[in-house]
Formats: sequence, structure tokens, C-alpha cells
Amino acid sequence: MKMKKFINKPENIVAELLDGFALSHPGQIRLVGNNLVARAVPKAKGKVGVVTLGGSGHEPGLSGFVGDGMLDVSVPGEIFAAPGAPRCLEAIRLANYGAGVLFIVLNHAGDVLSANLTMEMAKREGLNIKMTLTHEDISGGTNPEDRRGLVGFLPVYKIAGAAAEEGQPLDACFEIAERMGRNMRTLAVAVQTATHPSTGQPIFELGDDEMEIGMGQHGEAGTGRMKLKSADETAEIMLDMLLKDLEVKAGEELLVIVNGAGATTLMELFILFRRVDQILKGKAIKLARAKVGEFITTQEQAGFQLMIARMDRELIRLWDAPSNAPYFVVR
Amino acid sequence: MTDCITKAEFAGMIAGAAASIRANHAMLSELDCAAGDGDHGATMLRAVEKLEQAFGPGGPEDLKTCLKDAGWSVLGVDGGASSSLLGVFFGGMADAAGNDITGMFEAGLAALRKQTKAQPGDKTMMDALVPAIQALRAAVDAGKSMAESLRDAAAAARTGAEATRNLTARYGRAKFLGDKTRGHVDPGAASISLIFEGFDQGFSNLKGEAGNA
Repeated sequence: MKMKKFINKPENIVAELLDGFALSHPGQIRLVGNNLVARAVPKAKGKVGVVTLGGSGHEPGLSGFVGDGMLDVSVPGEIFAAPGAPRCLEAIRLANYGAGVLFIVLNHAGDVLSANLTMEMAKREGLNIKMTLTHEDISGGTNPEDRRGLVGFLPVYKIAGAAAEEGQPLDACFEIAERMGRNMRTLAVAVQTATHPSTGQPIFELGDDEMEIGMGQHGEAGTGRMKLKSADETAEIMLDMLLKDLEVKAGEELLVIVNGAGATTLMELFILFRRVDQILKGKAIKLARAKVGEFITTQEQAGFQLMIARMDRELIRLWDAPSNAPYFVVR
Repeated sequence: MTDCITKAEFAGMIAGAAASIRANHAMLSELDCAAGDGDHGATMLRAVEKLEQAFGPGGPEDLKTCLKDAGWSVLGVDGGASSSLLGVFFGGMADAAGNDITGMFEAGLAALRKQTKAQPGDKTMMDALVPAIQALRAAVDAGKSMAESLRDAAAAARTGAEATRNLTARYGRAKFLGDKTRGHVDPGAASISLIFEGFDQGFSNLKGEAGNA
């Protein structure tokens, strides 16, 4: 099938999308240096800066979450490809307001490699920096290194960003990011592939009547390919796996995120969420907060990610704190 | 023991590597479609263009600075793990600039090993790179000429890359595809093989020109 996308030259996709993103949110973000996405108004001196990196083509992830109360700077890479260490280092320097920088990295090979190189260089420069890795995709198995970072970046950005905004020191921001990370789990399902916008190639193949649970952000194979199921059945299978993995008990409070992959409609996401809520009620698990929408996408891939996170009073307070990030406004 | 390599000689090798990638980048992207997202050829093309710039006219005079600049600008290609690893390799070679080519490549490999635990057999660029450098070392130690040694290295890289066809990916994004990666050559290993073929070609072109002069 021929790719049908509104693009111009493939090599200009990233530059043009960033331009459009910045031009449409002039009061919130701006492009600085080598296509880094930064807040329109930098944070006050003496506060911790929060930086992330990641490939493009997943909009509004990850740069849509730069703003007061969340990220300071995001380093967008090429389509589905991590940015290199030089631009990450530039971002770290930019976000250093005198109290150090928290570097939030999603567990994907290219991102981790760039992040490790950046950490070496930043430490050589004497920068005060800590890195937290998000790896909450349970389809990777039990070894944390094999668990990818999916939509769980969202609560980590939000909570660590809010802690930094309050003026908490770097160690505290790092600790709370790690605590959020330890208490979240995600599972993805795909029903239809996306095309790579630069190459026009489908990124994976899936039969007309199939779905794959555990599909990664870029079409990496998951654990369970099966016949397409209904919304309720799919939600049941996935939520059951997540609750078991996180060992959620009755009475605990969860944040639930249903993230559309790009081509799955909000209509479907609500139908899925409805079943998730029913199951939680049945198990006397409390829904602390919920978020349904598109936070990280993969072009026109159809499917969704279901994330649950165990919350406590402090995590909820920071989740509710104000933010003016273009894709996460909290007043 | 071969003599230490000059900047001009290494620039000739880089030109060969760039020509080799340029001629095959579409094939690399096709390979990447099997287990990746089909952009490997484009990434490698951008990477070798950076290498050419670093060694081209207007670049630094000395080999060490060239390699440092080259490594840094390849890191800046923003092409995910492939360009980062290649950048680390060339940047790492700077530490041994002034030695013979084998010593330089070995320094690059040592730098790479600090960043990745991938070993030959894991279906990565290491499957071509490690045997290429081993073959180079063996040839040089056996007293072969630089041209012959580079030819041996290219042959070993090619064999190593081809052997990835029957391997299951254990590193990078492709590892999540498991056995589905069997039957396809790893694009990273294929790139390294093309680069070493280019080194060989570039070096012999240079010597050819010198011979004709």
C-alpha cells in the first residue's frame, strides 16, 4: 500500500514538524540551539532542570511535555531514532540553573546509548546530573533491562517536573522519579502497522484478523499474537497481566492511562477505559486519577498502551500540580 | 609491523568507505526493514558524509583532531544506536592516532566495548567489526603489506556479516523480534562490511594513484 501522508521532503520532516510545533505554541515553548525544544520562559535560577531525549514521529511525545511544571528541555531525534550525545549535552547545559539536572531516559537501545555518553561528557564537565531510566513495559520479561519505556514517561515527567518546580533538590527529584518508575507498568497492543514516514515502509506486518499484545513503540514484536478480540476482552487480558505484575491489592490507588497509538480513535479508548474501570471497581481497587488520549503515538499505527501506576498522597499531589506544557495543561 | 598511517592515507580510506555506503544505502535500508524501521541506510549515509567532511578540505591537519571531530560529528547524526556506536568507534580511534592502523582500530573497538556489551554472535555490527580487526591484526603480524591486510580485514568483515543471517538478534531494538530476525543479514554488520570494503578500495585507489604518478 502506498504511503498517504501530508509531508514535504522526507529529510525535512523533523525540522518542519518542530517549526510548526513551536509556531503554534509561542507562549509555552520555543526552539533553541540545534532544534532543542525549551520552555518559552526558562525556569528560575536555583531549581533543578529536567531534560529528556527521544526519536521523533511519536508526537506529541516527547516534546509536547516541555513547559512550566514539566520538562525544561527535550532533545528530539530523527524519525524513530535517538538523538546523539552532542545535542543532549547542549540540552543539559541549557537546563542547568545551578541546582543540577535530572535526565529522564526511556529504555530503548539508542536512547540509553546516547544518554550514557551524555552522562560521561556532562560529568567530565563537572555538571551535577542524575539519570533515571523508565522501563515499565512488562512484555519485556522480568529483567528490568529488557523492559522498554513506554507511556510511563508521562507520570515520571509530571511528578519529577512538579518536584523540580517546587524547588526540591536534585536527589529528591531523582528519588521521586525512581519511586514513580518502580510503581508503574505498561502493556501495549497493536492491531495495524504504521509506515515509516521517511521510507514509506510498513514497520511490521500483522494479519487482518490479528492483534499483538506486547508490541513495542516501533513495532518490535511482543509476546502474544492472537485473533482480534473485543474491547472488553482485550482490556481484561491486559489489565489482568498488569495488576498481577505490579501486585496490586484491593484498596490501593491507581493512576490509569490509556494511550492511543495514532489510529485508534478516542471512541475506542473510552470504550476500553470503561471496562478497565469496571474491573477495578470489581476488585475494590481505587481509581486515583485517569488520563485517556494520545501522549505518545507511532504514526497511523492502530492499538493502544494501557498503563497503571500505584499512587500515594505525594505522587497524587505532584500529578495534580499546575503545568502549561502544550499537551499536559493543568491549571 | 606496518608504519603509522598518515592523515592522507586515512582520508583515502574514508573516501572509499563513503563511496561504498553511498552505492549501497538503499540495500541497507531494505535489510533494516526486516527487523528495524528501514532507516539504516539513510543514517549510515549521513554518518559517512560527516566522516568525509571531517577528513575533507578545510578540516584539521592532524589525524588525531580529525578523528576526534569525526567521532563527535557522527555522534551528532542523531540516527539512534548505529550512528552513536560508529561515532564512539571513530572518536575512540583518536586515542591511538600516530600508531599503525591496527592499533587505531583496536582503540576504537575498546572504546566501543565500554558502551555496548554486544559480542560477536549477538547479530550486531560486532559480528563484522571484531573479525575484521582480528584479521587485520593477524595479517599485519604475519608481515603482510597494508593493502593485503586491509583486503583480509574486508574479507573477514564480509564473512562475519554474512554469518549474521543465521543468528537471532540479542541486542538493540531487533532483539524483541527474536527468531523472526533469522534469515536476514544484520544491517549494522552489513554496514561495517561495506565500510571495510571501502577502506580496502580507498587505500588501493590511493596507492594506484601514487603508483601512476
